[in-house]
Amino acid sequence: MTVIHVPRLDPQSAMDRDRPVNALLKSQILHLHEAERRLPVRHHTDIYINAIKTEGEAVEYIRAVTEAIHGAHAEAAARRAKRRPAIEIAAVADEGPVRKPKSGGKGKKKGKS
Amino acid sequence: MAAGLDQLKHIVVLMMENRSFDHMLGSLAAVNPAIDGITAGLSNPDTTGALVQPQALAAFQGQLDPDPDHHFPAVDLQIFGGDTSAGRVPNMQGFVKSYFNQQQDVGHSQKIMYYFAQNQLPVLTTLALEFAVFNGWFASIPGPTICNRAFAHYGTSFGQVGMSVFYVMEPYKSIYERMVGAGHTAKIYYYDTTSSTMEVVNLLQNEPQLFATYPQFLSDCASGSLPDYSFVEPNYSDHDTDDGEEVASDQHPDHNIQAGEAFIASIYNAVKNSPLWPNTALLVVYDEHGGIYDHVAPPNCSPNALDGFTASANDTGMGQPFAFDRLGVRVPAILISPWVPKGTVVSGRVFEHASIPATVTKFFLGSYAQRTAREAAADTFVDLISLDVLRQDCPDFDV
Repeated sequence: MTVIHVPRLDPQSAMDRDRPVNALLKSQILHLHEAERRLPVRHHTDIYINAIKTEGEAVEYIRAVTEAIHGAHAEAAARRAKRRPAIEIAAVADEGPVRKPKSGGKGKKKGKS
Repeated sequence: MAAGLDQLKHIVVLMMENRSFDHMLGSLAAVNPAIDGITAGLSNPDTTGALVQPQALAAFQGQLDPDPDHHFPAVDLQIFGGDTSAGRVPNMQGFVKSYFNQQQDVGHSQKIMYYFAQNQLPVLTTLALEFAVFNGWFASIPGPTICNRAFAHYGTSFGQVGMSVFYVMEPYKSIYERMVGAGHTAKIYYYDTTSSTMEVVNLLQNEPQLFATYPQFLSDCASGSLPDYSFVEPNYSDHDTDDGEEVASDQHPDHNIQAGEAFIASIYNAVKNSPLWPNTALLVVYDEHGGIYDHVAPPNCSPNALDGFTASANDTGMGQPFAFDRLGVRVPAILISPWVPKGTVVSGRVFEHASIPATVTKFFLGSYAQRTAREAAADTFVDLISLDVLRQDCPDFDV
């Protein structure tokens, strides 16, 4: 089996946190800003996106809003879990009592088919 | 049905960023003439009228700075060379002119013609030569990332030709929601919380059900618990983590190409070393060309296969509306599976990003009515998994 060598990269030589934000990250920031506005206020960041100029600044905002979305979903899941016991009780009640099949039931069905 | 196709249970798509076919794989025409790459006679005029030929002088980083323009008007110039007449035809003659517009520097503008030598990209070129490389996989739109990625997720961009926020319109659902709704499993794996996803609207609505991160992808491969369909996003940014420095691996200019090579290798190795290797097909594809030269003219879409949306003249920035009736520039695409014949070159067929939901839908769901005519007409690719005997000669990468 052939093993292909993949050159190792020195992160120091490739990284540039001061690189100007590219169009893709700018767009991601705008999309996340739109998402942030739809979250409960307690999950909002206090980051002013128009001041973001570098990739290093961009990632701080991207991480903050992504974590906020995670937090908001986790809260919602916890709320749903709290409500679940009552829902489960209601669901069981909806099913009604378990009944044993009548002895003649099977034969009747067969006769119809 | 081939034995290989009978074994297929998982499809994984890795979508990289902003590189054209000729830029990444054009060198392979010298290795295999069936690959539609760089050949003698190709050129673009610069703004002095001199012809600039493609040269194998591409650098891993620091060369395409500023980021080449790939918004709708710039791509229109790249494809049509500045011809705006009614009867124009694509000639792929405007790449140098377009890049010149950003810095007014003739010498710098010529770098848009540079491509990588085969030995600079050991991962991508090996995969292309070992598995199935597509001669005709095009971006869905002659425009930037977000609208092109939308076609991979929804089979449409809902009328967008740019980077704007959009919201999904009924009756169209993402491929993930279609899969889950039919009892299948599907996930988008983004790199980490700091890189996040380009599917922000989906994240807002469906986190965590449809989302996980790259470490989870590696874990799911190792444990044999991949979803039926997986979409993997690279790292979009240089950033620090608790484990150290993470270099952007998306290959978006001016991010480092070698970091992307290592990332592609890591995804391939994870799949290959998984117990699911015999049951998995991995597609590596780029979202769009990023303003970088390619010589193949994008085709028109069939009039019967449009997605039903029109971008306004204001949105295109061209003074003309766009009916999503032609494709964007060609991008690298490689289908990987131990059931794909070595050295397959897919020619004479047209693929685009709507081919992704089209393939996943056809394979897992069969018929599905609530999708665009564009997606319904898109070519699908699992037929390339055509071997009856599992290959034992697939390469490994030492990452």
